[in-house]
Amino acid sequence: MSIFTPTNQIRLTNVAVVRMKKGGKRFEIACYKNKVMSWRSGAEKDLDEVLQTNSVFVNVSKGQVAKKDDLSKAFGTDDLTEICKQILAKGELQVSDKERQSQLETMFRDIATIVAEKCVNPETKRPYTVSLIERAMKDIHYSVKANKSTKQQALEVIRQLKESMQIQRAHMRLRLVLPAKEGKRLKEKLKPLLKVVESEEFDEELEMVCLVDPGCFREIDELIRCETKGRGSLEVLSLKDVEEGDEKLE
Amino acid sequence: MGHTSLEKIIALQRNPANIRNLCILAHVDHGKTTLADCLVASNGIISNRLAGKLRYLDSREDEQIRGITMKSSAISLLYAIGEKEYLLNLIDSPGHVDFSSEVSTAVRLCDGAIVVIDAVEGVCPQTQVVLRQAWLENIRPVLVVNKMDRLITELKLTSQEAYIHLQKILEQVNAVTGTLFTSKVLEERAEKEKEEKEEKESEASGGDQVYDWSAGLEETDDSHLYFSPDQGNVVFASAIDGWDSGMAQFAHIYSQRMGIRAEVLLKTLWGDFYLNAKAKKIMKGAQAKGKKPLFVQLVLDNIWSLYDAVVTRRDKEKVEKMVTSLGVKLMARDSRHSDPKVLLSAICSQWLPVSQAVLSMVCEKLPSPLDMAAERVEKLMSVGARRFDSLPKETQELKQAFLQCSSEENAPVIVFVSKMFAVDTKALPQNKQRPLTQEEIAQRRELARQRHADRLAANQQAENQDGHTHLGSMSQETQSVGDNTEIPLPICSRPPAFEDEGTKETFVAFARVYSGVVKRGQRMFVLGPKFDPTQALSMLSEGCSASDALPAVPHLSCCSMESLYLLMGRELEGLEEVPSGNILGIGGLEECVLKSATLSTSPACPPFTPLNFEAAAIVRVAIEPKHPSEMPKLVHGMRLLNQADPCAEVLIQETGEHVLVTAGEVHLQRCLDDLRDRFAKIEISASKPIIPFRETVVRPPKVDMVNEEVGKQQKVAIIHQVKEEVSQGRLSDTLHVDSSGLVTLTTPNRLATVAVRAIPLPQDVTRLLEDSSELIRTLEQLNMSLREGRRIDVSPRTLEAITELKSQLESLLQGRKWRNTVERIWAFGPRRYGPNILLNSVEGYHRPSVWQCLVKGERSGEAPVVRDFDNSIVSGFQLATLSGPMCEEPLMGVCFSVEQWDIQSSSEPQHQDSVEEDSASHEASGDGTSTAEGTSETSAQAEGITAGPSQAKRRTEAGSVDCYGPVSGQLIAAMKDACRHAFQAQPQRLMAAMYTCEIMATAEVLGRVYGVLGKREGRVLHEEMKEGTDMFIIKAILPVAESFGFADEIRKRTSGLASPQLVFSHWEVISSDPYWVPTTEEEYLHFGEKADSANQALKYMNAVRRRKGLYVEEKIVEHAEKQRTLSKNK
Repeated sequence: MSIFTPTNQIRLTNVAVVRMKKGGKRFEIACYKNKVMSWRSGAEKDLDEVLQTNSVFVNVSKGQVAKKDDLSKAFGTDDLTEICKQILAKGELQVSDKERQSQLETMFRDIATIVAEKCVNPETKRPYTVSLIERAMKDIHYSVKANKSTKQQALEVIRQLKESMQIQRAHMRLRLVLPAKEGKRLKEKLKPLLKVVESEEFDEELEMVCLVDPGCFREIDELIRCETKGRGSLEVLSLKDVEEGDEKLE
Repeated sequence: MGHTSLEKIIALQRNPANIRNLCILAHVDHGKTTLADCLVASNGIISNRLAGKLRYLDSREDEQIRGITMKSSAISLLYAIGEKEYLLNLIDSPGHVDFSSEVSTAVRLCDGAIVVIDAVEGVCPQTQVVLRQAWLENIRPVLVVNKMDRLITELKLTSQEAYIHLQKILEQVNAVTGTLFTSKVLEERAEKEKEEKEEKESEASGGDQVYDWSAGLEETDDSHLYFSPDQGNVVFASAIDGWDSGMAQFAHIYSQRMGIRAEVLLKTLWGDFYLNAKAKKIMKGAQAKGKKPLFVQLVLDNIWSLYDAVVTRRDKEKVEKMVTSLGVKLMARDSRHSDPKVLLSAICSQWLPVSQAVLSMVCEKLPSPLDMAAERVEKLMSVGARRFDSLPKETQELKQAFLQCSSEENAPVIVFVSKMFAVDTKALPQNKQRPLTQEEIAQRRELARQRHADRLAANQQAENQDGHTHLGSMSQETQSVGDNTEIPLPICSRPPAFEDEGTKETFVAFARVYSGVVKRGQRMFVLGPKFDPTQALSMLSEGCSASDALPAVPHLSCCSMESLYLLMGRELEGLEEVPSGNILGIGGLEECVLKSATLSTSPACPPFTPLNFEAAAIVRVAIEPKHPSEMPKLVHGMRLLNQADPCAEVLIQETGEHVLVTAGEVHLQRCLDDLRDRFAKIEISASKPIIPFRETVVRPPKVDMVNEEVGKQQKVAIIHQVKEEVSQGRLSDTLHVDSSGLVTLTTPNRLATVAVRAIPLPQDVTRLLEDSSELIRTLEQLNMSLREGRRIDVSPRTLEAITELKSQLESLLQGRKWRNTVERIWAFGPRRYGPNILLNSVEGYHRPSVWQCLVKGERSGEAPVVRDFDNSIVSGFQLATLSGPMCEEPLMGVCFSVEQWDIQSSSEPQHQDSVEEDSASHEASGDGTSTAEGTSETSAQAEGITAGPSQAKRRTEAGSVDCYGPVSGQLIAAMKDACRHAFQAQPQRLMAAMYTCEIMATAEVLGRVYGVLGKREGRVLHEEMKEGTDMFIIKAILPVAESFGFADEIRKRTSGLASPQLVFSHWEVISSDPYWVPTTEEEYLHFGEKADSANQALKYMNAVRRRKGLYVEEKIVEHAEKQRTLSKNK
């Protein structure tokens, strides 16, 4: 046991501890704050910018360095740099403020981008810009959940935004071809699911081009497949029914 | 404005010989509005004391705050010389570059112009511009040299020096006029023969018409174009102090005093003449003999001594002496005032009132509407490249009406609207509060009394009936009657438009009558810019008028003159009719006139040539409402703004952005203020517009960044890519990338494998595909219908165009690598008509080509079969091309070649090449064409939609397989990923949208223009000198991404001498690699290990990724040691 004297103390500041349990022992390394995530994502390539010191600890705050035997037993090597890299890659850590902030910010943007891609202004049939959606999301005080996927959250956001502004999912344009026999019966069933029927032809087969909410696609598909036993067909003409090209306001 | 003068104006309007339509033009801050103030004061509309300080015509709040004029506004003034009374329609115009569109609208309506020049600053960039504008519109300018007081008080020049200085300024102005003249002569020389022929012809066809060809000939003699005081077209003035010195006045004064004839004096006052005091004779050669020129002695010296006495020395006695000698009466409070300027202007405004010389010069030198040059009429009437002679005969006859400018009842009415401006509805004369006349009051009293009686009667009735609602409305009405200032509704029936409470802004057209009399309520034709009189005349019957029912003629509509106004600055006065040659405001045209239009009672009238704008709209910003729910208001407001501003453009882009395009930063600011306060009335925010990019691949470069031969570069790049994939934690056991860039990918259920290679398309092919996107779209529709066995009749022309496209592609895609490719094209993308190609290079798979609509009937024995899931591959390709791996922007100019495509049936996994069998079995299983188009894929990802009817069967057959979802969906995803990886295996590049930029600049600022262009990654294509001028025309290419603020910067750096115009031209590959890292030794040596020197492509890519919330490879903290240790105050 070494004696602690003020002169041989190395005080570390800005410490972020990365822990890992291996071989029944707990190992810790001392890193700089806000750096571990960058290392993991590959943006930071300089190990010295991540590690405060090259040594592996049992407890960083107490300054207890891990024993060599334990290390080689757990990791199979006594190369400290190699062990540090392993711990960095797989250990658990407390995400620091800036890391969390930037992560949430990216997710927020990502959600806004997804919403902007999926939705249109029902009046003009044109998409909203991402920045407008971002502002609207801030207006309704939407808080991002870090552990839910952005797509899931985007669908949630669309639902909430509908209350405060004119927004809707961009409709899908579908073409349905139904055999004549079931045509009439099926049409009645489909009716509540279709938003707009653009054209309808009825000779040997019932052919319809219509706009639907993308959320109903699965239901429609299921319905047609089961009811017609594979004789009807469903074709997506366009994923998003939006205005194309620039328009001059006049 | 008194009632009498309004009547007088109306009376004067009938006499076109005494009307002068003029505008005031100058560089910014040279004193246009101040001069206008002085002229307005001469009519007693504002007090003389306030003239020059009030800026009466700057009626907007921001104009007053900023001190610059932002819109052109008109006012009608009276002026009398002796017996003759003149009506002056004066238009004050803005001087700032951003508002030169307003100048254009003003110049069009005028016959003459006052060009104001600062005596100190001389000729400035905008002065040149306005002189050019006046020249182009064929209107005659006169010169006012303003701010003479600055020569005395600021520069402290002696009168002799001032004289030389003034001479220099005149020379400068005349030099500008000279270049305009020579450039015109040079142009004319090119068409000289044509011109001569035309002259003869028109003279012949004119017959008995009286043409004053001397006016045309005078144009070639340039002496009268120049400004010179002895011509009487120059006045020296100080509008702020309220004096000016016209030659005629001084000549008049001194001819009496010295006994020299006024005409002689007028000729000799300016120039190298001096007065021989002994002989009382005027001699030539003042400079040679060292004598004072006449002008200095007689004019300047007097003014100088006055300034000396009043401002510099404040000599009370001397002032008094001068005052008495000038015969000016001074008010006691003026002479006591501590500020000498007050005293000065009090003296000057009586001695040499500014309006006197300027107005008399205007009346004498500027043409009346009657003397409009025939040349100008022809220029106005011949639209575009059409010559005047080619217009129909009826139209040519209208020229006579123009020249006569007659106000007779039967003369055709021709009106030109140069702009629409918004007026607060409350400010319209019919809604204005005005004192009531005696009769009106009596009438009201009578009405009120009657109402009162009615009410009493109603009250009595109400006791037995329930007339409560009736009563309520009645009492309300009486209340409004009781309110004396409001006009009760029955008396004044307002036009219905004003009753709409939502619209607080009304549009008034700024217009001029060129012929005939406009009456209130008259029906007229509105001629659009593309209207063709020949066509209309053939369609319309003889002698029809706008009030008849008409067949639909393109670009022609009808409107009625709801109300006519006299423009008095911010005030409007209602008029019943306006005879020709006058400037007026017309209300109620907002429905049929957008920005400018020609109105006429005769359908033979051609639309006037469009206004030539010196500054085009180039500053683009995206506008958003602060609160997203206010979007409709914003759109409405932008529509209004578009109408109210001649130069602003608004558009909605495909991205959903609302873009406002303005002429400059100041103009932008004004437009935003207008939107905020007047049109939309909501909080808005303006930001940099979204800049689009494209992604592409290129051939592996031959040299590296330091121009060394590349040895192993390519290999290194691929290793780099693969490593990245692994580091991003993707499964790589289904993915294989070989060294030549072929990517093989297996679906998660290990049933299907695709191998894709990305190949860069030659540039010409990309361009061809982009240009013919419409055609490809029709081709795609044809194919779709063919696939379903339907037949659509195609016009032979379309087929021809498709054949043409095919042969063009064939000729462009040559060489070993591209052999037979055109036949094998599978699809285009994104959205089925983009500039990317999917190529079918699968061995043993012959699917019908995209050109199948061309081969009709001649099917060969081996019928092409469409495999099952063919659509999934196409869809995967479409998705991959819609958003590339670099920053999710569309791809461009990439060819994806599918080289291998195996599908294993899950029931018989060992069977390797069961492709045909497999697909056959699918076909057998009952119409099982995969209907799930790839487009459904993203939604499938989002909601876990399973698609494809054939899956139902499959699922029941082998239920264990489908933990990964349906095969079609998996195949789409696999194809998309394969494309992305194949793309990444090649050297990737970003493509930037490019503007072509045309800059007109003078020689001295050429260097600075180049500097700005260089700083913003622009490239100069070529420059040439405009013949006969010192202007250079530079053509350059500039990335759209760098264009924000470009116009402003270039104007600032060249002090307004260069004006750029930007037009989108093409997409260009940015040569630097966004993923570049130094690999060779030389590169390390040159760039260092980090290589963090500016990488343009990386910069753009990261900006887009950050905007979209994609992962950006960037450290959160650059230096670990340099973070603050405190937990608070991060």
